[in-house]
Amino acid sequence: MKTIKLNKLVALFACMFALNGCIQDDDFKAPDTVVVDPVINGNIIDIDAVLGTFNQSGDDIITFEGTNNFMVGYVISSDEGGNFFEELVMQDKPENPTAGIVVQVDVSPLFTIYDFGRKVYVKLDGLSVAISNGVIQLGRREGNNLAKISAAKMSEHLIRTPEVATIVPLEVGINDFSNELESLYIRLNDVQFNRFEVLGDNPKTFAAEDDDQFDGERLLESCAGSSSVILSTSTFSDFKSLLLPSNRGSIDGVLTRDFFDDFYTIYINSPAAINFNNEMRCDPIEIACGLTTTIGANNLFMDNFETQTLNSLITGNGWTNFIEAGSEGWEAYTATGSNASLGRSARVGSFNSGDVSTIAWLITPAINLDANTGTTLRFKTSNSFADGSSMQVLASDNWDGTTAGITTATWGIISDAYITQDSDSFSTWFPSGNVDLSCASGTIHIAFKYQGSGQSDFDGTYELDDISIDAQ
Amino acid sequence: MKKSFLFFLFGMFCLSTTIAQTTVKGSVIDGTSDDPIPGVSVTIEGTDLVTKTDAFGKFSFIADVPLGEQVLVIEKIGYTTKRYPIIVNEGKTVDISDMSMDYDNNNRDLVIISISDDELNSEDNGATDNISGLLQASRDVFLNAAAFDFSATFFRPRGLDNADGKVLINGIEMNKLFTGRPQWANWGGLNDVQRNQEFTMGSSANDYSFGDLAGTTNIIMRASQYRKGGRVSYASANRSYEGRVMGSYSSGVMEGGWSYTVLGSRRFGNEGYVDGTLYDANSLFVAVEKRINENHSINFTSIYAQNRRGRSTAITEEVFNLRGNDYNPFWGDLNGETRNSRIRRVNEPILMLNHFWDISNKTSLNTNVSYQFGQIGNTRIDNGGTRLVTFNGQNSYIGGANNPDPTYYQRLPSYFLRDANPTAFDYEQAYIAQQQFQNDGQLDWNALYSANATVAAQGGNSIYAIQEDRNDDKDFTVNTIFDSEISEHIKVNGNLSYKRLKSENFANMKDLLGGTGFLDVDFFAEETDPNSVDGLLESIAQSDRRNPNRIVQEGDRYKYNFEMDANVISGFAQGQFNYRKVDFYVGASVSQTSYQRNGLFENGNFPGARSFGKSEKLNFSNYGLKGGLTYKISGRHLLDLNANYQTKAPTIRNSFSNSRQNNDVVIGLESEKVQALDVSYIYRSPIVKARLTGYYSNFKDGTDIGFYFTEDLASLGFNTGDAFVQEVTTNIETRNVGVEFGLEAQVTSTIKLKAVASVGQSIFNNDPNLYLTSDDFDGPLTFGDGTAKLKDYHVAGGPERAYQLGFEYRDPDFWNFGLTTNYFSNAYIDVSNLARSANFSTDFDGQPIVGYDATVARELLKQEKFDDYMLVNVTGGKSWKINNYFIGFFATINNVLDQEYKTGGFEQSRLAKFGRLQEDQTRETGPVFGSRYFFGNGTTYYVNVYVRF
Repeated sequence: MKTIKLNKLVALFACMFALNGCIQDDDFKAPDTVVVDPVINGNIIDIDAVLGTFNQSGDDIITFEGTNNFMVGYVISSDEGGNFFEELVMQDKPENPTAGIVVQVDVSPLFTIYDFGRKVYVKLDGLSVAISNGVIQLGRREGNNLAKISAAKMSEHLIRTPEVATIVPLEVGINDFSNELESLYIRLNDVQFNRFEVLGDNPKTFAAEDDDQFDGERLLESCAGSSSVILSTSTFSDFKSLLLPSNRGSIDGVLTRDFFDDFYTIYINSPAAINFNNEMRCDPIEIACGLTTTIGANNLFMDNFETQTLNSLITGNGWTNFIEAGSEGWEAYTATGSNASLGRSARVGSFNSGDVSTIAWLITPAINLDANTGTTLRFKTSNSFADGSSMQVLASDNWDGTTAGITTATWGIISDAYITQDSDSFSTWFPSGNVDLSCASGTIHIAFKYQGSGQSDFDGTYELDDISIDAQ
Repeated sequence: MKKSFLFFLFGMFCLSTTIAQTTVKGSVIDGTSDDPIPGVSVTIEGTDLVTKTDAFGKFSFIADVPLGEQVLVIEKIGYTTKRYPIIVNEGKTVDISDMSMDYDNNNRDLVIISISDDELNSEDNGATDNISGLLQASRDVFLNAAAFDFSATFFRPRGLDNADGKVLINGIEMNKLFTGRPQWANWGGLNDVQRNQEFTMGSSANDYSFGDLAGTTNIIMRASQYRKGGRVSYASANRSYEGRVMGSYSSGVMEGGWSYTVLGSRRFGNEGYVDGTLYDANSLFVAVEKRINENHSINFTSIYAQNRRGRSTAITEEVFNLRGNDYNPFWGDLNGETRNSRIRRVNEPILMLNHFWDISNKTSLNTNVSYQFGQIGNTRIDNGGTRLVTFNGQNSYIGGANNPDPTYYQRLPSYFLRDANPTAFDYEQAYIAQQQFQNDGQLDWNALYSANATVAAQGGNSIYAIQEDRNDDKDFTVNTIFDSEISEHIKVNGNLSYKRLKSENFANMKDLLGGTGFLDVDFFAEETDPNSVDGLLESIAQSDRRNPNRIVQEGDRYKYNFEMDANVISGFAQGQFNYRKVDFYVGASVSQTSYQRNGLFENGNFPGARSFGKSEKLNFSNYGLKGGLTYKISGRHLLDLNANYQTKAPTIRNSFSNSRQNNDVVIGLESEKVQALDVSYIYRSPIVKARLTGYYSNFKDGTDIGFYFTEDLASLGFNTGDAFVQEVTTNIETRNVGVEFGLEAQVTSTIKLKAVASVGQSIFNNDPNLYLTSDDFDGPLTFGDGTAKLKDYHVAGGPERAYQLGFEYRDPDFWNFGLTTNYFSNAYIDVSNLARSANFSTDFDGQPIVGYDATVARELLKQEKFDDYMLVNVTGGKSWKINNYFIGFFATINNVLDQEYKTGGFEQSRLAKFGRLQEDQTRETGPVFGSRYFFGNGTTYYVNVYVRF
């Protein structure tokens, strides 16, 4: 009797274990995650063609419908570090790219799907192209603006391929920046962050300073020339609180325009894009001895330009007058009225010059600081709608005296000298103050340097007079 | 055969008034096996004389036995009630031995599935916690209705929580110290061996423990107490499991005093009523008992009830409208199979040794030792995977991802229409989102795996992983229960108990989802967080500063890791006094409880002793007093009264404000003070049984902790008030008052009518204190006068009013049919406490919100009352006897009319701010952060087929 019942129980348990297979246990196999090469039933066009169609149309926004066109490109942005948000930047080739474009997608994160270097087809029908924040972008049309491709439509429009290319950054200089380079993955060689960003008591982070809103904007300057560019970092990025590096080297990132389309700027995918390995900074020498009340009786150099020929370049009296770029140089002029000169004065301006770039130097003869004591510098400046142009007063102790050597010499700022600013009144002449040079040493040349913004219709004029260098 | 003893006599003669020292005694045996049945309730009908059979099935009435023709009623759960006419003569002894009782083959499964199973299925902080699993089958018509018909709606008898009742197994309290609630899954699937239950209603006298307001259930699981025989059954249902097989066999007491019982069962289902809720549970039970001699027995009981469930969650009205009441966002398709991301796993075997010592025939001592150990695990998706980027000697963590939940607010149509005057484009986007959600709308496992593979190809760690929150408890209990009949009228009970819990709590890396490792840092940490010591993200983001930037593998502990030690010593004494007109009892308890946390990780946000090492040791001394009396106006009319005052130590969960991260103890933590009173009028006639009870209970100094993400907290500055917070509410006072009514009438020998009603009110009786803590801001944050204006809000938890009308038909030919109609009303939403604090009216700068309108605010903060609804349930069954086998089936169909209804819900605390809530609530296209609701099941069935031998 008992054995019979036990048999029944055994049978029951056997039955139960047989049923065990019914329920999924928690040991799932990973699905196949290999990306299959898609079959594109349509015309494959490159980014250049999309940009061309847009530019030729002359419209603010164009929409693709019924074209059966698929744009191909490689992803060069990554939102892994949070510095890009709901957008993909794509360029046409992994190496030596010629065209780039931004694609707006309402999905975050994207790096887990469209990773850096991924070759992607973009189905264009249903999408629109327009300029947004200064660069050409692809998205959904909303009125006359672009909106993000919705999450539900992402996989329809952005088709992954198995190819993940090695993106070779395009090596360019800051002076090379142009519309053609927008939305490309570029490399800037031999650059550093401006000394005011990284040196001193409070070196800056990428984007975690109190006054950083949306983006932290940091000045990156070339050691090779006097050019600079803003590095922008989102305040939502994961690395926003890291300190900027103080050394110099190369940086890889996406070239684009700032939000308001005012200037070029670079965004990096992660701090790993910064490869600064040269410990020697290339800061200009700075002469900052302060101002003094005492002026020595021994005049070493002076000029009030009264002997110069009007409307001709400044010459003589030991001056070196050098036009590094463009057609404009320091010249003598006279004016009366509300914007009067001081008799004859010197001026330079690139307004409406049509020059791509304007750089003009006016350099004094050598001043031996070691042979004199208490050397001071005085001059006066005025401006007429300086706008995007700038003027600096510099000094070099290693200029060889030749015009060819000007750009290769090291020029430092004489930072205590006041130079009129765009916000100052155009009618007033501003004295520089009695600038003390006594803390510097060696034999130096002092240069007055004018630089246009590169957009000559946005430049103005600086005026200069009553230069006097004295010693005890 | 024995059927000849069956009498259905109705209409009793009047009660005999002549009382003499006369004895009625006898015994009860099983109609099939002839084995004695212990624990049978024996009543002399129409009087208040009640006793129970002992272990040998024997009983006796000595005092106050009425003379003349009487009827003995013998009742036991699981058996068909029988009535035996007897004639009592003065001075004589009536000995009616071997009354037989037949197993009630149509009986429903005790602890019916909807009770314990829904609870298991719930989220930790949802309203489903409020289901009273204490409801048990009972002879009380009201409690029966509450257990079988009201439980689907989270109905809480007398407004009481699960934690207000006690569940004992063999006299050992099983309520968990973490929550105060019994963990039903620990003994699920053992229905056949849980038929011996002693339920004490309310706080009335219980022989084993002081008990609690919602009643005390002692489940007797001793091998010798089971009827000899076996049972094999198969159940099919579509509520939580799809199928259940169960087989059990009990030896009965064999030669040499040995007895044993074994049970095995399996419950399984790929999904219940709600999609994607898998059910996978295996239960084994073995009990062996040896009667050493007449006075000593030793019993060993072991329970292995392993349970794995796929969970579901509360959803918003918007989601419900798009997908219905069976929608579950937690699952998604993976390789053609359904995978639920939220798996709850309970595996906590219980071992017990029980010694029963009959010191004399009036006095017994029962000593028990229990050890329970094992794991509870709850999985979820961790979407904060990052990799370490070291740059110039500085560390940062890049990566992380958004919540992949398909119901994440940014994926739903309402999000695209959130701005005023939505454009055509907005509508288009909303439509696309709606199509996507309706056509797919499930978790995209492939995307998670693909993301991890994509990132791994670049050398990165998993972005997504499965985190399993674990509680690994070791619980040791020893107690001894004393029971003595000092005299004919006086019985004394007492117990002493010691309980020790050592609990390990940690996150376990369950599944890397195809990745190679997971970086154990807090992706959401900010170096500007207030607890930062050195201002470095690298320090503050660490789960464990002592082991920074660790890459964990599957099976590793990560995120948090701490131990909790708890010790409880308690004692209880009680006297029960039974007299002719009055029975009364008094009881008292004392206890000493201590808790201590021991942090094993040094959390980056809370360096040093704030998180690492031992916390302050919390000690609570508590006591309880209770008393009650039954006044017998006559045999038919009784008055019953129970009063209770006790203090209760807070649960572990409510003692530490954020035990996963730090050692902080709740500020203002107090023991809860409970007072309760109930008064009943009971009417019993052979045809009608009725009870009317009025109850009152008051809870003071309650504590509650909630966790959520909220926006724009007051006084934290402009656009800087978003935080993931712990909301600590203390000094909570609640009050429950109401009446319960139950009536059943045996109108013919086959038809029974039932009427049940419960009308109550559970409200907050004061404005409790509220503060927030967070690693996103410094110190506890309070608002205004530091309170939440909750007074007169309803405590959420099922309908406050429930009514039932029903009938049962029992055919003599062993089939039956029953129908109940149940009507529910006055169920309320769980309100956001934060929105009732001064945070609601205070702006970012601590000043009142400009444009605050008290009238509008009142409207916004009005507590939502759910719609009334009616549920119709049908039951039926039949049984046959074939040779020595009983074969039968039992079936129920619940919610026959397929009524859609909300069983509960809660407001989200995300926008606990006047302007923000107003904007969200008044959107024409519906709120983005609307309240979330639990929806009841539609029509469901349950069928059980069995063979008994």
